[in-house]
Amino acid sequence: MTVHFSYVRPASLQDAMGQLTGDNARIHAGGTDLLGCLRDEVFPVDKLVSISRLDKLRGIKKTTDGGLSIGALTTIAEVAVHPLIREKYTALAQGAAAVGSPQIRNQGTLGGNLCQKPRCWYYRGEFHCLRKGGDFCYAAEGENQYHCILGGDYCYIVHPSDTAPALQAFGATLRIAGPRGGRDVSVADFFVPPSRDVTRETVLEQEEIVTEILLPPAPAGLRSAYRKVRARQAWDFALAGVALALEQEGGRVQKSRVVLSGAAPIPWRAVEVEKIINDSTLGAEVIREAAAAAMAKAVPLSKNGYKIPLFQGMLEEELEKMRGA
Amino acid sequence: MKKKEDDEKTGQCQCEHGYTRRGFLASVGVGAMAAIATTSKLSSAKEASPAELSAEKAVVVTLLVNDRTHRLLVEPRWSLLYVLREHLGLTGTKVGCERGECGACTVLIDDLPRNACLTLAVEAEGRRITTLEGLMQGEELGPVQQAFVEEDAMQCGYCTPGQIMSVEGLLRARPQPTPAEIRQAVSGNLCRCGTYPHIVKAAARAADLKAKR
Amino acid sequence: MKDDERDLYFVEGIAVPQTPLPGEEPAAWGKTTVIGQRQPRVDAYERVSGTAVYPSDVVLPNMLYGALLRCPHAHARVKKVDISAAERMEGVHAILTGASLAGKVKWPYSEEVVTDLFDAQCRFEGEAVAAVAATTPYVARDALRAIAVEYEVLPFVADERESLAPGAAQIHAGGNRFKAETYERGDVNKGFAEADVVLEEKYRTACEIQSPMELHGCVANWEGDSLTIWESTQGVYAVQAKTADILGLPLSKVRVIGHYMGGGFGAKLQPGKYTICAALLARKIGRPVKIFLSREEAMLAAGNRPPANMTIKAGVKKDGTLTALQFSGLGSGGAYPAGGTSLLDWLVRDLYVCPNVQSELTDVAINAGPARPFRAPGHPQCAWALEQMMDALAEAIGMDPVDLRLKNVPLVSQGREGSPPYTTTGLSACITEGAEAFGWREARRRTAAARKEKNHLKRGVGMGSCVWFVGGGRPPSTVIVKLFADGSVNLNMGASDIGTGTKTVMSMVLAEELGVRPETIQIEHADTGSTQYATPSGGSKTVPTESPAVRSAAIAVKQQLLKMAAGELGSPLENLRYTGEYIEATDSGKKVKITDLASLKKQGVVVGIGYRGPNPEGKVVNPFAAQFCEVEVNTRTGEVRILRFLGAHESGRVMDRLTFDNQVFGGITMGIGLGMTEKRILDANSTGKMVNRNLHDYKLPTALDVPEEMVSLPVDMPDSEANNTGAKGLGEPVTIPTAAAIANAIYDAVGVRVRQSPADPLTMNRLLAEQSPEERS
Repeated sequence: MTVHFSYVRPASLQDAMGQLTGDNARIHAGGTDLLGCLRDEVFPVDKLVSISRLDKLRGIKKTTDGGLSIGALTTIAEVAVHPLIREKYTALAQGAAAVGSPQIRNQGTLGGNLCQKPRCWYYRGEFHCLRKGGDFCYAAEGENQYHCILGGDYCYIVHPSDTAPALQAFGATLRIAGPRGGRDVSVADFFVPPSRDVTRETVLEQEEIVTEILLPPAPAGLRSAYRKVRARQAWDFALAGVALALEQEGGRVQKSRVVLSGAAPIPWRAVEVEKIINDSTLGAEVIREAAAAAMAKAVPLSKNGYKIPLFQGMLEEELEKMRGA
Repeated sequence: MKKKEDDEKTGQCQCEHGYTRRGFLASVGVGAMAAIATTSKLSSAKEASPAELSAEKAVVVTLLVNDRTHRLLVEPRWSLLYVLREHLGLTGTKVGCERGECGACTVLIDDLPRNACLTLAVEAEGRRITTLEGLMQGEELGPVQQAFVEEDAMQCGYCTPGQIMSVEGLLRARPQPTPAEIRQAVSGNLCRCGTYPHIVKAAARAADLKAKR
Repeated sequence: MKDDERDLYFVEGIAVPQTPLPGEEPAAWGKTTVIGQRQPRVDAYERVSGTAVYPSDVVLPNMLYGALLRCPHAHARVKKVDISAAERMEGVHAILTGASLAGKVKWPYSEEVVTDLFDAQCRFEGEAVAAVAATTPYVARDALRAIAVEYEVLPFVADERESLAPGAAQIHAGGNRFKAETYERGDVNKGFAEADVVLEEKYRTACEIQSPMELHGCVANWEGDSLTIWESTQGVYAVQAKTADILGLPLSKVRVIGHYMGGGFGAKLQPGKYTICAALLARKIGRPVKIFLSREEAMLAAGNRPPANMTIKAGVKKDGTLTALQFSGLGSGGAYPAGGTSLLDWLVRDLYVCPNVQSELTDVAINAGPARPFRAPGHPQCAWALEQMMDALAEAIGMDPVDLRLKNVPLVSQGREGSPPYTTTGLSACITEGAEAFGWREARRRTAAARKEKNHLKRGVGMGSCVWFVGGGRPPSTVIVKLFADGSVNLNMGASDIGTGTKTVMSMVLAEELGVRPETIQIEHADTGSTQYATPSGGSKTVPTESPAVRSAAIAVKQQLLKMAAGELGSPLENLRYTGEYIEATDSGKKVKITDLASLKKQGVVVGIGYRGPNPEGKVVNPFAAQFCEVEVNTRTGEVRILRFLGAHESGRVMDRLTFDNQVFGGITMGIGLGMTEKRILDANSTGKMVNRNLHDYKLPTALDVPEEMVSLPVDMPDSEANNTGAKGLGEPVTIPTAAAIANAIYDAVGVRVRQSPADPLTMNRLLAEQSPEERS
């Protein structure tokens, strides 16, 4: 039962951006995350700008360079079942399939999944926490079992998206429309860690809209996977997750990207892992070393130390599956 | 037929199939709007028009529910769930959390199962909405409903409409699903009574019943 | 006996008239034709078509929507409530506060503790502070936001283990200890001295929330001085009694209707403050008022299963003889006395043969929402401790867990004064037949062999068994059966069908006895205005309480029909046979169709009244069960997957095989919640507030969290001593041993004891990290 807000559903992207003036205007795409935030009164709102009429923001198509373009309004379910995504960008399809519930996936959009708010229960709850303009992070000394072990800095959220790690592993780019023209931002640069600004999750400005997600061509020998460990098998966020995108040739890893979910306030690129597995055949020793390296810099809070063996075990398991592929 | 004051309270249309838009507006709609306007000074019904959805507090929407058109005056913040239940009387759609976390309010929107609680009524305009009541063929149960009866796929029955809608949505997309697909399809529908094994059996039977009909 | 919930389920010592008279009870059924079959629910059509009107579906003309303002602090004192802004809002019709009620409306938290309905002292987050009624639920919430409350925030205690510590916040003037109870039989020290092995261990189960899918709430409407309430409840008469008492109304002026209800699990045995608020608001405004809680409110203030901290010390001889059990339990039902340790030691006292038993229970206060009975109060918690301990003992003496349990099956209820015998016990049969059907011994050999393999996916099997404290049903219950001139039948009973299939089972009883088709029976139920008195549906007592009364009423109908036929056929009663459609005279060979009976046509209807007779003197009627499961543990990630489950249940006669199986699966599913996913989390360090007050942070099992393979194995043992249908209850035992069986299977798989629920990856990774790398691989 939310507060009053006005509602507009513009017919053009230009109109939509024009409607987003004022701090308390919010974009409504699928609405699954937004309406939950409004119910919990996480942030003030006076106007919803629905972009659901912007059909150009929908759909999945090949790009001229051999990559893929996914409209920001494409639903999570559409991403999860798309044959080309399943074949060439498996981790993304798997990540999408791991989101929320069937209903959420039918309604939520890929753009929205990238722009969703943290699921920290202090942030969502009746706590005036640091991220909401308060003085401190309740999780730092509180119930932090689901919080971050990497990248925490005054605020200890984990990034909730299952699709962002996969997109980052593929080196995807977001196309953003703004009143002063568009810009392209790599997924890696899209998210804002608390060390940079604790009150925002992305670089998106108030009047900007993510319109498209661009995947570069999938090189030959690319194999990818997304693994998610959770406390419940549906409608749950990652306790630990990983998107792996490995290019292998003759059983040897040529190039890799490893991005963790459930670990940090942003999708967390595990460069240490990549360094160790690159130019290896993923032998048992390399895998053990890589999994340990992923957690070398982890700083657990009072109640989430379990995540360290969990991440290590999960990485070992997933890297083994990649061996010789 | 409900009493007139009932209509006034809810701003609800009592339109029967076959009413023309003009006839409906003249007979019920204006009265409904006026009622809202007098009970709430926040309402700005007079500024609202079907073409504009930018009104501050109350707007007219046209909802296509179970193949019938309903024109209603709603606040932009009203959920489709609230409008279906408290204004259209379609209480087959249940309320369990209003946060998209339990699935009791599952309806089909353009054939896809979605949470009515996370769908604003204004967002549902122009979409094809199917509720549990819409699966009935007159007084006869639809195949999924029939299968739920036969397999005893319910206990308290409160999550059951949502489960049925999720299965209906699944079967519209995949007429012969595997057990794994069925379990996945109803994984957004919590059943605290724990009827899941019977629900999975009912979904499989429903696929057979649908194939036969 | 000391059960706090018993008063909710039963009224002791009421002398009720009986049909048939004492000593004239009908013989037990022999071979049945309807009972025991797979009968789909008689109200299934209504439930799947959307025509079943649940209380939350009720929309009355002119109805307003109410909402409760709740204290956001774990412990606070209301200093000032300013409603001036809210009062001025359009669409707001009435506001109730502590000041406006002026202490005139009281709320009995227990017999001893009575507070104001809106008490200045808020002892838990979610306590009611004010109530509003408005044109829409949205406006009602707007009004709540506009009410300004000034609180004095007080120190709190959120962890029951800290409640009695020096310096802990004091919740009540008399201190934080509600109750301390002890029990003793034999001499535990002697028992431990006789034992070959003595083990001691600590266990804990987390607090769970009932979370029925339909929220708590009601619609209240006044017609003159008569109040009608449509309430989502397990017992309309219980709601009537408490509401009438609080409002000072005669029972006859309070009508409570609850034809359908969307689950309760013990949390809906009584009305809530919302019921009283809806009634008061409706009276004040002169319009019907609907109040249904939000999910978040229900999580805070509508009941829970108390957290349990248990220490168990056990002694066993090498041959499997239990020599001593010592148990101590600490729990909290929240900020008010609410059975925080209710029945927590019962399984220790009663489940296995043991001459020397000692237990102590301590119920303390914390600043959290009051508990309510939750499906088998105390039992799943105690099973978590006792059944894991039994496995540990079995391992220590090198005995199979099944054999150890079979060695100690009691035939008498040792936990009760004088050790009365059970009428029947299927415990041995459940364990034996369950193990057989599960393939227990083969599976144990397989998992033992596999443990030596180098594989991070480890399988294990586990089991647990149980008794349920009650489950035999009791008086009072009155039902009326009417047979109309056309042979159709109407059943009138006060009991609620909370989803267990009560209406269906009662229809089957009538069908069995009168020869009519179940679907031709019309049932009036759960309405204090038009149906007969019944106690709430809970405690696994509805079928064994109501079905004998229904059978008696049917027999009363039959007897009248036979009398009519005796006159019309000219044969004495003893020569008449009732065959369903006809009554036949065995002497003359003549028969008459029941619907052709002239007296029936003239009279229009035959009315039979049935009363629930007493339970057998000096005996105990309890249901029993054993459950078995297989799990796979990923030692790298701590993920536990349940591969299969089998529930072997003895609940007397199997009434409807379809709803029986459904209950078994449902109980197992709920037990999986306790064992694997559910826990209330309070922000114990800084605010005491519940952080996981929604259905994604509080994790009920989904369809993907239960195994694909679930088997229900009924141990069908009609209990002719218990009552005239031979049925015992099923709703509780189905969830008692589940979590413990999972924990035992995990131990079998990886050798770690999950002492604290739930066995989620958080717990499992901590435990597995304590193992050596060799043990893990």
